[in-house]
Amino acid sequence: MVADFTQQIRDKAKELLEKGTVECVIGYETGSDGFSARPAFIYESAEVERLIFDNTCSHNLVKYLLNKKGKPTAVIVKGCDSRALNLLLSEKQIDRDNIFIIGVVCPGVVEWGWNNHSDQLQIRCNWCRQHNPVIYDFLVGEPVTEGPPDDFADIAAMETKSTEEREAFWREQAEHCVRCYACRQACPGCYCIDCFVEQLDPEWVGIRIAPEENLMWNTIRAFHLAGRCISCNECERVCPVNIPLSLLNRRMEREVLGLFDYRAGMSEDAVAPLITFMKDEKLGIGE
Amino acid sequence: MSADNGPLIIGFLCNWCSYAGADMAGTSRIAYPANIRIIRVPCSGRVDPLLIVKCFEEGADAVLVAGCHPGDCHYNEGNYYSRRRFALLRALLDFMGIEKERFQVKWVSASEGKRFAKIITEFTEDMTKLGARKAS
Repeated sequence: MVADFTQQIRDKAKELLEKGTVECVIGYETGSDGFSARPAFIYESAEVERLIFDNTCSHNLVKYLLNKKGKPTAVIVKGCDSRALNLLLSEKQIDRDNIFIIGVVCPGVVEWGWNNHSDQLQIRCNWCRQHNPVIYDFLVGEPVTEGPPDDFADIAAMETKSTEEREAFWREQAEHCVRCYACRQACPGCYCIDCFVEQLDPEWVGIRIAPEENLMWNTIRAFHLAGRCISCNECERVCPVNIPLSLLNRRMEREVLGLFDYRAGMSEDAVAPLITFMKDEKLGIGE
Repeated sequence: MSADNGPLIIGFLCNWCSYAGADMAGTSRIAYPANIRIIRVPCSGRVDPLLIVKCFEEGADAVLVAGCHPGDCHYNEGNYYSRRRFALLRALLDFMGIEKERFQVKWVSASEGKRFAKIITEFTEDMTKLGARKAS
């Protein structure tokens, strides 16, 4: 099945590049360790044989479209990645006319690292309800039936702990954080040219790598993604010290779903919950 | 923050309603605890979550945001946005180990001096019971 996906992607990429519909196809190729996928930028139709698709293709390639503004580009997206496309389209960051979307019905991605390959699905796949791309021009694979709604069991488990325990838990995580900003660099929703963390006046987050500053960074980043996170969980995958960032993002996702019945990235003209309001809503605030 | 003086509460008050409400409490000679340090902002919608998180990071025990009642915003809709924003922020802070009680949003109009004093008195009492934050 997956070999067939690879062939279909190569054929489509070749056609697009030969016709001149796009000048670049962003996809996956085999990395230098011989089995894990890495992003590939294909500019020549002769090079399409480099493209692959398998269960190590976990990168969210939508992020790279932000560097391709104004240039016709094709991108390969899985279900979760396709929601990022809708997010960026609704926030007017990319132009639909310049993008050709090759959607892939995602078979799930496995845990992998450098020279380290397992058959274990990544945790994002456990809660994934978006194996089918929500937006595409060309679909690879047969659409599947999605599972029942997510029960957020991991968040509920975290909430059974006391406030002190949660405080201690996050403080410990913050002690590990080295503020490499890999989470931000991998995130399709983090595209601010001047990120608050690099502002010097006011200096919201100090330059020292200390738990307080790290906690501030992780709290605010989670908040900036509230109602915008599309659960691709790339932030957690790229984290070199394995901070469970999905807990923060999914806590916000559950809250947004509960209060506003909203899931990010489901349509390209969606209005995000924090840029609108209803006059008579009851949110347990100020009452 | 300091055991002697009780909890340190930072209050962001909107210029048009709540700050005037605090002023009203003052001119009416209504006493309220000095634990609150007031910062005047143009609108409760101006209060960036960064300000709140920064307060907690720098050692505040509690933060209060006060603005006009819904429908009364000087800029028509600022407090509607802040209501949504802080509903989410409160959940996130609680999840990260800062009790919900430590972050309050209240609507206080310019004529509600008594109400403002009552809110601050109760908030200070609650925070004294809850105790200082262990962290930072």
